[in-house]
Amino acid sequence: MPTASAALAHRPMDLLNRLASPDPDIKLKALREIKNQIIGNRTKKLAFLKLGAIPTVASILAEADSQLAQGDVSIADKNSNHYNYNIIIQSAAVLGSFACGFDAGVRAVLDAGAFPYLVRLLSNPDEKVVDASARSIRMIYQSKLTPKYEFLKDKKMEFLISLLNSESENVTGLGASIITHSCETSLEQTSLCDAGVLHKLLSLLDGSLCQRDASLESLAALFRNNPEVISKFVGPESGRALGSIMGLTKDRNPRTRLLSCMCLIVIRNSSSCYLQDIGIKTKLVHLLLELLDDPGQVGDEAPFVFSSLIMEKEDLQKLAFEANALDKFSNHLQNFRLHPKRFQGILLALADICSKLESCRSRFLSLQVLNLVIDALTHDSADVRTAACICIRSVTRSIKNLCAGYFMNEVLVIPLVQLLNDPLASVQVAALGALSNILVDFTTGKSTFVQCGGVKQLIQLSKSMDSTVRLNALWALKNMVFLADDRCKEGIFMELTASLLASLICDHDPFVQEQALAFVRNLIEGSISSVEFVFTESGIILDAVRKQLENTSKAEVGIQGMYVLCNLASGNEFHKEAVMQQLLSQVDNETQSFIIKFLQSNDSRLRTAAVWAIVNLTFPSSPGAFCRLVKLRSAGIVPQIRNMVNDPCLDVKLRVRTVLGQAMTFGDGLS
Amino acid sequence: MPVRVVETSAPSQISGAISEQISPPFCTLLSVGQTFSGTQNVSSLQKDEAWRVNVRIQGYDLDHGYLCGTMEALNVPMADTPVVTFWEGEIVDGKNYTFFTGKWEASAEDDIRHWTKFPSFSPFLCQVEVDGGKSLDLSNYPCIFLRWKEQYFVNVGTDCGLTIAGFYYVCFSCTDGSINGFYYDPNSSPFQKLELKSTNEGRSGFSFSSYELQ
Repeated sequence: MPTASAALAHRPMDLLNRLASPDPDIKLKALREIKNQIIGNRTKKLAFLKLGAIPTVASILAEADSQLAQGDVSIADKNSNHYNYNIIIQSAAVLGSFACGFDAGVRAVLDAGAFPYLVRLLSNPDEKVVDASARSIRMIYQSKLTPKYEFLKDKKMEFLISLLNSESENVTGLGASIITHSCETSLEQTSLCDAGVLHKLLSLLDGSLCQRDASLESLAALFRNNPEVISKFVGPESGRALGSIMGLTKDRNPRTRLLSCMCLIVIRNSSSCYLQDIGIKTKLVHLLLELLDDPGQVGDEAPFVFSSLIMEKEDLQKLAFEANALDKFSNHLQNFRLHPKRFQGILLALADICSKLESCRSRFLSLQVLNLVIDALTHDSADVRTAACICIRSVTRSIKNLCAGYFMNEVLVIPLVQLLNDPLASVQVAALGALSNILVDFTTGKSTFVQCGGVKQLIQLSKSMDSTVRLNALWALKNMVFLADDRCKEGIFMELTASLLASLICDHDPFVQEQALAFVRNLIEGSISSVEFVFTESGIILDAVRKQLENTSKAEVGIQGMYVLCNLASGNEFHKEAVMQQLLSQVDNETQSFIIKFLQSNDSRLRTAAVWAIVNLTFPSSPGAFCRLVKLRSAGIVPQIRNMVNDPCLDVKLRVRTVLGQAMTFGDGLS
Repeated sequence: MPVRVVETSAPSQISGAISEQISPPFCTLLSVGQTFSGTQNVSSLQKDEAWRVNVRIQGYDLDHGYLCGTMEALNVPMADTPVVTFWEGEIVDGKNYTFFTGKWEASAEDDIRHWTKFPSFSPFLCQVEVDGGKSLDLSNYPCIFLRWKEQYFVNVGTDCGLTIAGFYYVCFSCTDGSINGFYYDPNSSPFQKLELKSTNEGRSGFSFSSYELQ
């Protein structure tokens, strides 16, 4: 009958004390009790970990192992051998359990130096010891924290092959898990393939459940982005191997079905030779949608596998749409108390389905679940918050709805602006992505955003130490000033300041430079007075633009900078002369204008932008056009343009002809 | 004296292998933010009338042959204010859309009848009659053909006495950004002409802004 003292004896501290007992029976019982308490119980794992259980168990393992190694067999020793074996088995099991799904446990097991002991035990004559250590090592290899297995180092491949050739199911499973964990580079994939691993893994597909699942995961690791390895697997025997994997998509076990889908998707994505027909595509879509209904880990992982199938692939997104994937995922969103992993997966899958097709976005919006996605913006899990932002970013690609002002409302904007203050930069960047789209708004004047402090936040983030954050903050600002009215532009510019803008144009990251220049381009387009922005503070912005145009080797920076000059050159005489000064200030007998290098660029967008600037400088209705034309001719710019009369890009060719046509209006002498 | 622009090569046909780029070229004058103004002739048997019209491009998705924007009609007799509509466009690119409309009560004959009113269309007529122009290489042709369909009124109610039931056949000139169009609605006067030019909105030259969706 349970007593108070019996219950007390199972407290973690007491159990640890009993581990230190010299009596092997007490030690063994304590190990078993700890094992039973921590299985599947993260809280208990943490509690024992904090009390230093892991190093204690690791040294028990080491001690028991060395005692066994001393090898002298007598009746008394047989008894102690029995205990030693069982202590080894239980302590290996305890260590494995600590490592299972618990990164802190993995770290502690590795730090305690238990790993080499566990590996040595794989060669133990006792089957049960081998199994226990194999299971434990396998759990350790499920963690990303575990150091990579270096296949290509001395004897490592040999050892791995010996694992795969073992009679023990747990050991072969371990071999496969090591491949899943550590096989990354194409050299490793090829070396494993050359060592005959494919054949072995194929045979494991006919093995036990555990072997099949382990094999499927390791095959995926071998196939990933490696069409040669795939063809070595699929090619022989008229595709029997592929048939085995396809067969497993009908397995009773949902995890096997999921892993076989995952494996087939890896093959599809890595090699254009296999599994490209509509039949298999449709089948995979339906299989994964079915697996979504699994209440456990399989259902949590299914959305991620679904995303890997459809990501960046319009044809698959269309199939998903036709299979009512949006409805199915949306229904799951409405489940109360979604596990964070599943929540993240569903949000990312919805984002992928809506990433390219307007029909998908329309359907999503019609399902009225956007509010659930908005709720996820305040979830405890950063992964869920990020996934919600990514979902919103996809949906807000709907130009039609942006034009209608559908997204510029408090319900959506306020929580996104709040995420600009999130402690994690990755969440901030995701929120900036969504806001960048929403800020392309043609109807409401963006006052909602301004009123909730959005502009201040964006400008603050444009000063971030993290260049990705700076880039995305500027991207949002750039979209915001597109076709914005003067008041809006003024408000943003005053907050941003000319000096900050100039320093962003000269940022060391060219992607940031590009966005800053694109911002200026939009800022000075529209009403003629907005051109004056570039002259504030003695023209530091214009100087910064020129500096970047002179120094950049990145086409996109050149394109945006040239459009700044183009837009400036569409202004009045003063503005056009300012552009001339930028173009010609460094020009002498040795140095040519930076615009010549742009006119000669391989990038047609850059050539187009450069020619437009010249169109504007020589625009016939302006009084100074002729003088500018003369100067541009002397600087070699007009002759360069003349050489582009048959440019392969139609847009460039037509603008070149505009320049030459304009030149002709000034009469002969220049032709 | 203006330079005579040398005509680009005649539109070619692709036989056998399909060339990568057969869709119309991208033209900066037809990009987002660009504005056009001109008139739409709304004459009927009873009277001769023209409305001033301003158009702005708001969205452009080359991959899907899509564009959209607003159309603002001024001096509309029935309205107190300018009437603004939102329209969506189909770019005839041989991939997403052909010269055949296939909807909006426009038959193939209606299509041919309207497209042939654009002089720039004439080199394509024979091929379009055969297959809607699917196999034409439009990548170097200095005109872009589109259909524009107004979707809703932005600033007035549907009871304003105006209709947006029809659509426009449109020809855009890459050379100077001019737009010509014909409105088609079986229930309205035929061939109401839209004529627009690229505007500079008070500037002495062309200016370009842009947004990028993430």
